[in-house]
Amino acid sequence: MDVNNLLLNLKDIFTYTEGQPMLFSSGTFWVLFLVFIPLYSLLKRRLWQMIVFVVAFSFYFYYKSSGVFVVLLFATSLFDWLLSRLLVRLTSVTARKICVACSLIASLGILGYFKYANFFMWNISAMVGANFQPLDLILPVGISFYTFQSISYIVDVYKGRVAPTHTWLEYAFFLSFFPALVAGPIVRADYFLPQIRENRHATREEAYTGLWLIILGVVKKAVIADYIAQYNDLIFQSPTGYSGFETVMGIIGYTMQIYCDFSGYSDMAIGIALIMGFRLAQNFNFPYKSQNLTDFWRRWHISLSTWLRDYIYIPLGGNRKGTRRTYINNFATMLIGGLWHGAAWKFVFWGAMHGAGLAVHKASRPWVDRLGSSWPVKAFSWLLTMTVVALLWVFFRADTWTDSWLIIKNAFTDFSFDYAVPFASARMLWLIMMLVIIVAHALPTNFWGKATAAFVRSPWIVKLLIFVIVVQLVIELQGEDVAPFIYFQF
Amino acid sequence: MKKNYIGLWLLLFVAFAAFAVASTLDEIKIGPIELKSSKIADRLLQERRLDEAVDSVFDAETADSRDELKTPAPLDTASKVILFIGDSMLEGLSPRMADYAAANGHTLYTVMWYSSTSERWGSSDKLRDYIARLKPDYVFVCLGANELFVKDIKEKRDGFVKNIISDIGVIPYVWIGPPNWKPDTGINELIAANAVDGAYFKSDGMHFDRAKDGAHPTRSSAALWLDSVARWMPLHAAHPIKMAAPGNIKGKPKRIFVHQPDEK
Repeated sequence: MDVNNLLLNLKDIFTYTEGQPMLFSSGTFWVLFLVFIPLYSLLKRRLWQMIVFVVAFSFYFYYKSSGVFVVLLFATSLFDWLLSRLLVRLTSVTARKICVACSLIASLGILGYFKYANFFMWNISAMVGANFQPLDLILPVGISFYTFQSISYIVDVYKGRVAPTHTWLEYAFFLSFFPALVAGPIVRADYFLPQIRENRHATREEAYTGLWLIILGVVKKAVIADYIAQYNDLIFQSPTGYSGFETVMGIIGYTMQIYCDFSGYSDMAIGIALIMGFRLAQNFNFPYKSQNLTDFWRRWHISLSTWLRDYIYIPLGGNRKGTRRTYINNFATMLIGGLWHGAAWKFVFWGAMHGAGLAVHKASRPWVDRLGSSWPVKAFSWLLTMTVVALLWVFFRADTWTDSWLIIKNAFTDFSFDYAVPFASARMLWLIMMLVIIVAHALPTNFWGKATAAFVRSPWIVKLLIFVIVVQLVIELQGEDVAPFIYFQF
Repeated sequence: MKKNYIGLWLLLFVAFAAFAVASTLDEIKIGPIELKSSKIADRLLQERRLDEAVDSVFDAETADSRDELKTPAPLDTASKVILFIGDSMLEGLSPRMADYAAANGHTLYTVMWYSSTSERWGSSDKLRDYIARLKPDYVFVCLGANELFVKDIKEKRDGFVKNIISDIGVIPYVWIGPPNWKPDTGINELIAANAVDGAYFKSDGMHFDRAKDGAHPTRSSAALWLDSVARWMPLHAAHPIKMAAPGNIKGKPKRIFVHQPDEK
């Protein structure tokens, strides 16, 4: 064995490689976690050593995913922490407001520069008819997530809802906590900071519940989402190339893909945090069981929707300023939510349509409630909600505005069940995957509670067997390319 | 380590060790099922192909075979409108071709006819229609995978292959041969015999990572397949065009036309 070769390969594996962020479902993370667990366990009762260790690991994790942008994360955390310390010393209302404004300008300025500069410049140049050379910008991984965390922290400190951390290390721990760093869930300071000082070990049950969540997340992301994506990509790359039936399958496929992809990542993040003894809030609660859009947004990306509610919708006036203003606030909040997802008009439109949908649902509630809750009403409500959600995902996924309309037009004007049998024979594994996730999603919620308990109670060897089977399944189904998490781009 | 973590850590460690050890074996079978390797050992022990070493090997190889090579045709540096036609293999090849097109200033149209053969293309007007409509100045064809095992293929398909080449007419083209997963009954030989010198890229004999169906290369393997075509063109193609490696540039065909197996 050539030791030099081995060392060089190890160097490649553990240093930053552009375009290859560290995924929880990767072998690299698995090895690192094997080293991390015993060290973390030994340091857990020594609070400050544990904090230093986790912060260092989180920064390394971010470096492996985003390279030199780790400096930006460091600078953001230091700047916000210094401002939060200053904020509690200031007594003048004006000075305190200036302090908050400085933090917001810095956070949103950095986010705006990396994420929206080209978008705004492109729009301005289109309006004035000028030539536009896009800036050569790379979006730092997870910047939208940690920016929202830093904003909520400063606002909470300003409002007196959270006491600022005494040390930068505690704040850096909160901001860079690696399970939630690059794709959420968006952690809130009032919920998370007390857990640092609580300094408790995970129980054996929590550790295995964490492992169960990781296994579920891996199945959702690396087995199902990555596999069904291959067909969905074909449909979205060629909006008019396939029959209406195949296009509808592609739309339903993407609807399940984005759920499996993102909720799978959240499951892994929550599971890893739980193994470390930290509780992160639930981020998805079976969103495709929703019977209206309001319900959908209570179940989908919960950490983002509650953030938008608390830091945009309520400050805008929420529902306290009359019916019309409530609708406008709802719409504006979702518009911002759409823009948060990406610097493109398609995301703005997607957000706006969800905002409009929420307003329509609120407006129609008085007479909708009179229809009762018989099963046909529930079934129709569910079908209508899912149709709207799935069609809006088309705008979210398609490359261009034109592609979105072509796909929708194709789905409605060229639909025929004649393609069902050839489709089933050509895409059998895809259909099986879809069936698995749809059935799993439709099962009663308490089934999953029981399944978790059964896994935790099961003998060690059974857990090992389940874990090995899942990993082998990932190996069997994966292509050579690693599909990044969809939400990494946000 | 705290006892709460010992069981979990051991589980992760044992599983990792098992996959690492298994990755050193030539093949892992459970009954009739052959399992894929995690490639942990490969990843750790793979040979480092330093640039200098690769260059020197390349130089030596080209020097040795220089006498056997014909003088390469001059490179056509103009931007092209490329028409890429073929069967379902284009699912993997077309995205990579789109990257090359974007990186080299070409415009790409893809026509993918599922389950198609030289017989289907050679007996229909589709190719002629697309050429008339899109006016390509370069054509790539990838056909043959659905007729690897046709008996008496020369008698049955010779006319259709000729028809396809005749439809292409004077437009320069490259026919990418099928990625055999078993020896064929003569389709490769038939295409090679009909194509002009430097217009047939033989894929038979190349190594591919296959998708679950055992036939189609995986998306990444198909990309490497097209990379091989692009590297082959400057030295061997009758009419080489700009096919510089796209690096991180991602492209998209200007339009993809898809035809179902039962279409005429």
